[in-house]
Parts: sequence; C-alpha cells; structure tokens
Amino acid sequence: MIALLLSLVLAQGYAPPRQGQDPLDAEREARVQRVGKLLRCAVCQGVSIADSPASMARAQLDKVRELVTEGKSDDEIFDYFVDRYGQWALMEPRKSGVALAVWVAPVLMLVVGLLLVLGSMKKPVKAVAPADAPAEDDYLAQVKKDLGQ
Amino acid sequence: MKRAAAIITALVLVGGLVFVLGRAFGTDPHAVPFKMAGKAAPNFNIKRLDTDEIVSLASFKGRPIVLNFWATWCGPCKVEHPVLDWAASKYGNDVVFLGIVFEDTEDNTKRFLKENGWSFPQLFDPKSTVAVDYGVSGVPETYFINRAGLIVKKYPYPFQHPSQFEHEIQEIL
Repeated sequence: MIALLLSLVLAQGYAPPRQGQDPLDAEREARVQRVGKLLRCAVCQGVSIADSPASMARAQLDKVRELVTEGKSDDEIFDYFVDRYGQWALMEPRKSGVALAVWVAPVLMLVVGLLLVLGSMKKPVKAVAPADAPAEDDYLAQVKKDLGQ
Repeated sequence: MKRAAAIITALVLVGGLVFVLGRAFGTDPHAVPFKMAGKAAPNFNIKRLDTDEIVSLASFKGRPIVLNFWATWCGPCKVEHPVLDWAASKYGNDVVFLGIVFEDTEDNTKRFLKENGWSFPQLFDPKSTVAVDYGVSGVPETYFINRAGLIVKKYPYPFQHPSQFEHEIQEIL
C-alpha cells in the first residue's frame, strides 16, 4: 500500500528545487526579509514568502529584492503583490482604508460590550413603601383572623 | 429609550457578525484571489524552448492571446495537454497560443514535449519572474488576453474537455 502511494506521489512529481537570487547587502537584505515576512506565499498555506521553502516563494522574494534594488518603498512593494492577489497577499491586514476596520472593530466591539454590560448592571433599589399604600389587604386580614393570629 | 438603544446596538453587532461569517463561509478558504482581470498583461521577454529565440509578448500586440502556465510534474497539466493542442489547431489562426513552463527544468520539458507532441510555442521562465508578474498561484492556469492587451480572465483549472475551452475563449475572440 505504501509502495503504491509512493509510486503515485512520485509519478505526480514535484517542482524541482530552484535557488533564489543571491542576497543583497546586509541592510537591504534585512529589509527584504522583513518585507518578505509580511507577504503571503502564493502556492503555500498561510506561510510567508520569507519562511516558505517553495520555489515560487523564492521567486516572489526575488521580486521583492528587485523592487528594493529599484528603490521602491515598502508600501510600493506591498502594492505590487496586492495588485495581483488583493489584500490576501498580506500576512497582516493594512492599518489603513477599509482594512483598518479589522484592527479597530474588535476594540470597538469590546468597548461597546463593556458599556452594555455596565449599563445592564442596575444599582440595588432601596425598598421604600409607597406613602399611599393601602393598610392591609382585606383577604389577608380575613385569613389572619380565621387562623386566630 | 435606553432599552431600544441596547436592542439596536445588539442588532447591529449581531448583524455585522452574521455578515462577516456569511461572507467567510461563502468562499473557499484555499482559493487565491485574482486581481489582474482588466489590467494590462505584463510584458515579458523569455526564451522559446525549441529555437532559443527570445519571445516578447509585445510582439503580438493587437491579437488575442491564450497564455498557459504548466509543468511536467503537474498531473492535471498533462490531462489538459491534448485539449490545448486541439484548441491551438482550431483557433491558432486567430489567437496566439503560448505555453509558459512553470518551475520545471528544460530537460524534463523537452522530453515531455518530444513524447507528447506540441502545437504552439513553449517558453521557458527559469526564475518564475513571468509567473510572479501574472499572479500565478499554481498550475495549470490559463490567461485570456484580449486584442487591447488586457487580461480578461484567468482559468485556474485544467481543461478536461474542448467544450470548456470553447466556452472560456469566447470573450477574447
């Protein structure tokens, strides 16, 4: 059974491994890796292009190197990938525009929730007998009388 | 009044939650979004496998283009190979067909093409730069580019039958 599975897997094959470009100088390479950790690998499951061993991730990281070399800002690099894959390309949603709601909404909902809870916690009300309350119920008086109290 | 405000707030919160969950459950979590539709097809200059000639997308300006990313290690790509061959023979006079080999070696590709035949130019993208520019998220993927050079759509599945291809190509004819 294992042999059969192995043969099927091997027959299907994998992409041959490919080396990425050489790293840039230390300062720019650190920026490449930092930006790469914030970009999602297109052929992986929830892994950044800096962390994935996939060839496609290396190609994407090479693109980051190319854009860094061209002097692009971090936002311009993110835009390049967002233009192709949408906000999905970002490991963390942006803290601007509509995506800002993702960051603000949980805090806002927590505050609103707390306010609701505090609002529903009523202060204990002192029991005060109304001034014009009737002396005693007639029926209760009759019951007490019958019981000899 | 206070009670009404609380009810409205709760309704807004629950409504928002239902909306978000509804949208999330309605989409495939593994699907990779594609945002290149309607945008200009990125140009490339890459080698043609059989002649070593450098092919530029810009040289096909004014003609509709079918761009197929594939690899020999990809089973579904092998399934669609005969369908694309058929499509190229049927539409090849009006539409430019180009194959781009994705994450593969030249030797593997040449061997596969020798064994299985091919009816349109196959280009080699050794560093996957073209794949990255097009937002490829796996293979096979077929891009349909209109006469104006705009990407009309991407078909991210293998063509298993000619009718599937005929349906998809209509928008660029």
